[in-house]
Amino acid sequence: MNDTITAKSAPQSKTRRRLVQGGLLVVYILIMVLMIFTGRRHTILIDNKDAADGSYSAINGMEVSVDKQESAEYYPGDRDRALVQGQRHTIQVTIFDGNTSIEKTFTVPLWSDMMIISVPKMAAGLEPWIEPFTMAEQIEEAQESGPPAGEMSFQSMGGGAPEETEETLPSP
Amino acid sequence: MSAQKKLSTLFSRYAVVIIFVIITVAAIPPSGLSIKYILQEIITRLGRNSFLVLALLLPIYAGMGLNFGMTLGAMAGQIGLIFAVNYGIANWQGLVFALLVGLPIAVLLGWVCGLVMNRAKGREMVTGYILAFFINGIYQFFVMYMLGSVIPMGNKAIVLSRGYGIRNTLNLESVRQSLDNIVMLRVAGFSIPLVTFIIIALLCIFVVWFKKTKLGQDMRAVGQDMAVAESAGIPVEKTRIVAIIISTVLACAGQIIFLQNMGNLATYNAHDQTGFFAVAAILVGGASVTNASIANVFVGVMLLHAMFVVSPLAGQKLFGSAMIGEYFRQFIGYGVIALSLVLYAWRTRKAAAEARLSLRGARSGPAKGNGKPAAGNGGQA
Repeated sequence: MNDTITAKSAPQSKTRRRLVQGGLLVVYILIMVLMIFTGRRHTILIDNKDAADGSYSAINGMEVSVDKQESAEYYPGDRDRALVQGQRHTIQVTIFDGNTSIEKTFTVPLWSDMMIISVPKMAAGLEPWIEPFTMAEQIEEAQESGPPAGEMSFQSMGGGAPEETEETLPSP
Repeated sequence: MSAQKKLSTLFSRYAVVIIFVIITVAAIPPSGLSIKYILQEIITRLGRNSFLVLALLLPIYAGMGLNFGMTLGAMAGQIGLIFAVNYGIANWQGLVFALLVGLPIAVLLGWVCGLVMNRAKGREMVTGYILAFFINGIYQFFVMYMLGSVIPMGNKAIVLSRGYGIRNTLNLESVRQSLDNIVMLRVAGFSIPLVTFIIIALLCIFVVWFKKTKLGQDMRAVGQDMAVAESAGIPVEKTRIVAIIISTVLACAGQIIFLQNMGNLATYNAHDQTGFFAVAAILVGGASVTNASIANVFVGVMLLHAMFVVSPLAGQKLFGSAMIGEYFRQFIGYGVIALSLVLYAWRTRKAAAEARLSLRGARSGPAKGNGKPAAGNGGQA
């Protein structure tokens, strides 16, 4: 009698074990995916420049912060960057003239490393004010359009990339 | 037992600790460092290294000696971190991701290490040491050739200019001190990385709990005497493999904690001395090849790293060159391991001689040791 019960329960426990193992594997992969979605870092370039076609013009002084990070002041021709983590973010802009505030929410595609937000375009209500930014494309565009205007300044571009160094590690 | 004999036993048992305390205390005044600075450095290094050193405990319980094979786990952790940097996953999420990538690799390497060690019973330490060199070759091949060629690497900043292989030094800026900085307590002018210490405390609780479980008891039985454990129905080889797998996985996590604190990764040699420094630390703390406790881990990390902090400056002040202190650091590390092994062998012989003496009776006179260990798994290389 006992033998029969043991013989029946053996495959059952084996199936249960397989199910638990499979479930754990799924949870493992889900945590990994969750880490990618919540932990992936993106660079957001905040741009305050005139449009090439003249459809909008740079804002004459503003304060911008992304995700309640420390805000920075921007004047015409400025471009700076903010590092964000995850996909959904908020940008807050306070324009000095008239003291108006704009708050917008945007989503960064998961595998996009760098996005550029044109604040004047956003303030003018033109779409799309957020676009993927590729360094190669920008270099091509810059070469086509000639040297940048004298007033244009790059406070910071990209960056954050590890450099190849041969220095030794600090001692353990 | 006479007072003199008690003192002699105490000194022989804690010789390494006593010598280390004397050298460290003597090196503090010439170093010119303030006590506050030294204490802050010790706190930082406790958070950085304790997890790695704790990874050594289970193999010691299982009678497998000091697990130099923990380097394998360190390599797995580094592979995890390379992938976290490649995918641009920052902060603690990057660390969790690195752990999740490194975990299966660590389990696989631990299993291989356990299998090899089961074929080299009694010589686990030297086997682990050499196995780490062998796996290091595979690691170098993987990181230098496979990454970027067979396995695509999206982040070109970490790939060598030839298009494949990872750069010599990786900037871990995206995960740098992300665990330590979750909650950084400021107490009396000291910065204490609370979350790191909580994780270390949880591991300590796990070790204490694990020792009380069936598997933990089996490990201790295997560590006492493999033949007796086998005849008692304990699956000796399986238990030893499990001990090594857990140690390798903990080393993987420990290396991730270590590197997040350092903030950069020497891709091809960061793991080289992981085992060496962890082993030196636990031995300095008063552990032996067959006996170790959680207290040994913390005492060892504090003493070894206090020495590491003061020795370069003491060397500079005393001999006019900071390099003397750096050499001293290496010399002390290897010296401690050698001294501990010699003392262990000497104690084993002495115990064997005393055991024979007690069997023969007091009339037989003093026995001369023939170098054979008394019982158990002594005599590991």
